[in-house]
Amino acid sequence: MMRHLNGRQRVLLGLIVSAVILLTVCIGGAFCGDAARVTDFSRKNLEPCLRYPFGTDWLGRDMLVRTLKGISLSVLLGMAAAAVSAFIALALGIAAATLGKTVDAVISFVIDLLMGIPHILLLILISVALGKGFRGVAWGVALTHWPSLARLIRAEVMQLKESPYIQIAGKLGKSRWYIAGKHMLPHLMPQFLTGLVLLFPHAILHESSVTFLGFGLSSEQPAIGIILSESMKYLVTGKWWLALFPGTALVLVVVLFYVAGENLRKLTDPGSVHK
Amino acid sequence: MGRKVISILCAAGLLAGLLTGCSGKSSEEKQAADKDNKDSVIVTMPTTSEPESGFDPAYGWGAGEHVHEPLIQSTLTTTTKDLKIEKDLAVDYSVSEDGLTWTVTIRDDVKFTDGEKLTAEDVAFTYNNCKEKSSVNDFTMLDRAVAVDDTTVEFKMTKPYSIWPYTMAIVGIVPEHAYDENYGQNPVGSGRYIMKQWDKGQQVIFEANPDYYGEAPEMKKVTVLFMEEDAALAAAMAGQVDVAHTAASYSDQSVDGYHLLAVQTVDNRGFNLPVAEPQEKDGIAYGNAFTADVNVRRAINIGIDRDEMIENVLNGYGTKAYSVCDKMPWYNGDSEVTYDSDEAKRLLDEAGWKEGHDGIREKDGIKAAFTLMFSNGDSVRQALAEDVSNQLKEIGIEVTTEGVGWDTAYDRAQSEPLVWGWGAHTPMELYNIYHTLSGTGIGQAEYSPYANETVDRYMDEALASGSLEESYELWQKAQWDGTTGITQDGDIPWIWLCNIDHLYFVKDGLKVADQKIHPHGHGWSIVNNVDQWSWE
Repeated sequence: MMRHLNGRQRVLLGLIVSAVILLTVCIGGAFCGDAARVTDFSRKNLEPCLRYPFGTDWLGRDMLVRTLKGISLSVLLGMAAAAVSAFIALALGIAAATLGKTVDAVISFVIDLLMGIPHILLLILISVALGKGFRGVAWGVALTHWPSLARLIRAEVMQLKESPYIQIAGKLGKSRWYIAGKHMLPHLMPQFLTGLVLLFPHAILHESSVTFLGFGLSSEQPAIGIILSESMKYLVTGKWWLALFPGTALVLVVVLFYVAGENLRKLTDPGSVHK
Repeated sequence: MGRKVISILCAAGLLAGLLTGCSGKSSEEKQAADKDNKDSVIVTMPTTSEPESGFDPAYGWGAGEHVHEPLIQSTLTTTTKDLKIEKDLAVDYSVSEDGLTWTVTIRDDVKFTDGEKLTAEDVAFTYNNCKEKSSVNDFTMLDRAVAVDDTTVEFKMTKPYSIWPYTMAIVGIVPEHAYDENYGQNPVGSGRYIMKQWDKGQQVIFEANPDYYGEAPEMKKVTVLFMEEDAALAAAMAGQVDVAHTAASYSDQSVDGYHLLAVQTVDNRGFNLPVAEPQEKDGIAYGNAFTADVNVRRAINIGIDRDEMIENVLNGYGTKAYSVCDKMPWYNGDSEVTYDSDEAKRLLDEAGWKEGHDGIREKDGIKAAFTLMFSNGDSVRQALAEDVSNQLKEIGIEVTTEGVGWDTAYDRAQSEPLVWGWGAHTPMELYNIYHTLSGTGIGQAEYSPYANETVDRYMDEALASGSLEESYELWQKAQWDGTTGITQDGDIPWIWLCNIDHLYFVKDGLKVADQKIHPHGHGWSIVNNVDQWSWE
């Protein structure tokens, strides 16, 4: 079937499929609600079976529901954080490129500074300072992921400013707002969207690693990081399902986001859009 | 194709080599281990047991949050298996009429391992030093220690303190002449063992003290490895250790050549129920509208099936707890209750907590609900909290669980129940939990709002009493005197769930001497009597 489709259609299909899967997981997780926290000691430590495809843990919690809920929590957090990050990046990137040399120097310095500090360290710092929990992690992820995108947008805007058609528009007497809205923004959009989507996997991985290390969500929450760090204690007794399924699910989600991002880039980037 | 076959063969060869290499090595190791095993033993402990500030009693070695015998140093007294007092360095001790002066005479024949004699000066120095520096143990009842002559030391107290012998049982005597700020790293004592080597973050090696004044230790060498429970289990599976600490969640594992040893403890878990009505002071909320009702607290106490809980959470490795001091000489048996959910429901109905449409009770707009906190990452406490939640739902109480860090837990516990772990070899713990605290908070007990004048009075009297036997009775009366107290028929401000057995995988052939009831803390208690262990 793939053969009948042209490249663009194939890319579109890939994008839709990954988006649908991600959406299903999120919505499924959201509907699980409290089921992920139900404990039942009569069914503890069960191996994967038809009734509990992902098995149960030492509190008798259904790992499938817990994983779904964990993933949806991660995705939600990733979206919120990526949105904030992308917004900061857009604002700072444009500001750096258009507001003159001093502002540019300051913003570039901040970007370099943040990129110089290991992500995870800064994340832990912010998360702990804000009292951990959902809020701490969300802000931590949101405030640490913008520099690379900001740098990209800054460079893009600077390049655009010098490009002939913008220069001509300026000479023709168009206002700055008009140029920014009509000429620059459409050009920036693909970069921005792709950057936004590609932030998700980063944000999700960082959320789970911070939680895994114990600086994030508290341990009754069904977060992937919590699930994985708990499962470490039971690996030695042969309870492989506690780590395998949630871990695989996390990797899959990250890969899907990456695929979606790449496809989105192919669809919107002028360089490849007509292939 | 050919290449593939070759590579598979190579891989197989490599694997085989690895396997034989491993097994060959381990059997060699085993033989080597067997040879010098006869008088040495390797014990694992949780990483948290490693003393951060070294082996210095002033910084909590032996006399800290988790009490145990200090091994390297000797103590004036010791506790026996049934937690009565026996003498060690002390030959005799007595207390004055007013309870303000303790006079202790000590043995004359004791030397530190550096050859110097242990005198009353050293004893006085140790206690004065602890009073000055200890941040982990309370020495406020001691005014000062004075050496009267070489073998007599006097403790001047700030208030009568009848249970002083229990403090004397945990403070290891340090040499005044060899004490400086680095003492904890290179401890010198007069105890059964000498610390030979300490690789921080890994292990401590003890060797028997050849000049020990008591019975010579049977185990000449004791190695303590610090590791997490899963690593300890792996070490036992590999046959590398003789005693591996473990948890209930691993108790169903069988390890070849090892058997499971379960030691009874007073390492209890329970939760507080704030007694006061809600109020706020200095930004901290005190009290809880729901648990302020005594009938609620009584219903919770009998609405929990402790047997089922122990089976569910601890795989059966635990005993039911009804107080903070079960099985101790100062425990009052009236604390015991039987599980009766019908009676619990009746109590709640009678007190006006009527079931709503969602099965959760309420009264005057207040829901029969509370948040039960547990320390983040502690799987046993989490499981206990979850089981409490499940069980209390049956009698119409909604319990939400929440993992918290210790940085906020203490303050929040003033208004919300928290799962605690206690259990010590001194009745002072009753005082710490139930006695009101003047000067801080709202004039209630320290960890959870509670105040009862009669209970306070009994405990004050117990501390002021002339002998330990007398004080035991008063401590018991503080729990229940027939009309009031802290038990089911009294105010029941704390609910006690279970005492957690301390579990160890012990290598077959090793005879671990009878243990006294372990206190809170799954660490050093096991080696209290390592000198009496033997190999068959």
